[in-house]
Amino acid sequence: MRLFKLTLSTLLRRNTWVICALMVTILPFVLPQISSSTENPSLVKPALAQAAWVMAWLSAAFWGYFAAAQTGEHLSKSGLGEYFHSQGVSATRQLFQVWLAVFTFVAPLGMIAALVSVLAASPANPSEKTLWIATNFQYALLFASVVAPLIALAIACASRFGSVSGFLVSCSLSFYGLYGVGYVKQLISVENSRVLTWLWSASPHYHFADPTERLRYKLGAIEWSQFPLLLAYFGGIALLYIAISRWIFRVRATA
Amino acid sequence: MATHPPKLSFSQGMTIGYRTPLAQSEVAIELTKGTHFLLARNGRGKTTLLRTVANSIRPLTGTVERSGSLQYIPENLAFDGFLNGNTIFKALIPKPRLPKALALAESIELDLTKNYGKLSTGNRRKVSLIVAEFSVDPEKPNILLLDEPFSGLDAFAREHFERIWSERNTNTLRLVSCHPDYDSMPMPSALLIENGHLSHLVNDSQTWVSVKSKLN
Repeated sequence: MRLFKLTLSTLLRRNTWVICALMVTILPFVLPQISSSTENPSLVKPALAQAAWVMAWLSAAFWGYFAAAQTGEHLSKSGLGEYFHSQGVSATRQLFQVWLAVFTFVAPLGMIAALVSVLAASPANPSEKTLWIATNFQYALLFASVVAPLIALAIACASRFGSVSGFLVSCSLSFYGLYGVGYVKQLISVENSRVLTWLWSASPHYHFADPTERLRYKLGAIEWSQFPLLLAYFGGIALLYIAISRWIFRVRATA
Repeated sequence: MATHPPKLSFSQGMTIGYRTPLAQSEVAIELTKGTHFLLARNGRGKTTLLRTVANSIRPLTGTVERSGSLQYIPENLAFDGFLNGNTIFKALIPKPRLPKALALAESIELDLTKNYGKLSTGNRRKVSLIVAEFSVDPEKPNILLLDEPFSGLDAFAREHFERIWSERNTNTLRLVSCHPDYDSMPMPSALLIENGHLSHLVNDSQTWVSVKSKLN
C-alpha cells in the first residue's frame, strides 16, 4: 500500500481539503443567516441541513473529482505509475490504492454533513429526531456510494486523457445525475420522445441520493425495505463505472 | 537463508522497439549481480531496453527473463511538488531501512524539509535514487533499472552512489543507463547498443575511454 500512503500524504500536504472541511462545517451556519430563511425561524434548521448537504455535494464535485483527476494525471505522467508497475503493482491495484486515498478524503464530507445536520438541525420532537438521524445516516451512505465510482472515473480518465477531461467527466455526470435528469423528465412530459425516455432511463439518477428535499419537507427516512434497492441501484452504477475506469486507466500516459 | 542471485537474461535474437526494431541481441546475454552500464548514443534504445526489462513493453521478438524483485526508476520520475523528502521517504521506504536512508540524504546534502517542487534537478534525482536504493530488500535478489540516474547530479553525489553500489551488490543487479562524463570511469560490465546491435562487453579493467570508441 505504498502508493496509497504516498497519495494520502500528497493530498494531506496540498491542504486544499481544509477548504472543503470548512465549507461543510462552517458555511451551513452562515448561509441560512444571509438567506430568506431568517424571515421564518422554523425554516432556519431545514435551511442549515440543506446547506450542509449542498456543500458536501459541491465539495465532492469541485474538489474531490478535481483532486482525483490531478492525482490520476500525475501518476501516469510522472513515471510513478511505471515505477510501481515495475515492482509488480498492477494497474488495477494502482487504481484501487489511488482511489482509496482520494475516497478517504471525500467520503467524510458526507459524514460531516450528516453530523452537522443531526447535531445542529435535528427536530425537537423525539420521534421526528429519530427519523432525522436515520435519514442523514442513509444519505451519508448514499453520498459515499455515488462519489466512490465517480472518483475512480476521474482518476482513470485523467490518467489517459489529462486532468481536465477527468475532472469534467465526473463533475458533469455528477451534476447531470443530481439536477439534469429532472430537466430531461420535464422535457419528456412536454415532448413524448422515445429517445428522451431512453436517455432518462439510462441516466444515473443521483438525485435519489440527494437528501435536501426530504430534509427540507421533513419527509422522513427512506423506507428500510426500499433502502437496499437504492443501494443496489447505485452499486450497479458503481460496477459499470469501475469496469469502465479499469478499462480506461493507464499507468503510463504514452506508449 | 541462501537465496538465488539476481539474474537478467536476453535470448539470442531478442529485439526491442515500439513498432519498428531498435536493437537486437546477436547472442544470448546473461547478467548477474553487480553494476552493468547501458551505453548508447541518444535515441538508440536505452530507455526502450529498460522499459522492456521492466515489463512496460514487450520485446518484438525473443524473450527477457528476470530473476529478482524488479524496480525501474524512469528518468522522468517525479513526486508531487508539495511533498518534501521526509514525507516521500516515510511513505515509500520500509521503516527498518529509513534511518540509513535519512543518514545518506544528510551526507549528500539533500534538504529533506524542502518541498520537492522547489528542489533542483540534481536534488530531485537524489530523492529518486535513495528511494530506489532503500526499497531494495537486501535479503532477496533485486534488479534495479536506473534510467540516466546521473543527469543533473554533482560529482560528489555521483561518487557517493557509485561507492554505495559497489558496497551493496551482494544481492542486487543494477542496470544503469548513462552518458559518462569522465574517461576513467570504471565499467567492468557494459551493455552497448550500436548500429541496432545489443552487445555485452566484460573486462575488469574496462573504463569509459575504452568503450567510448565503440559507440562512434
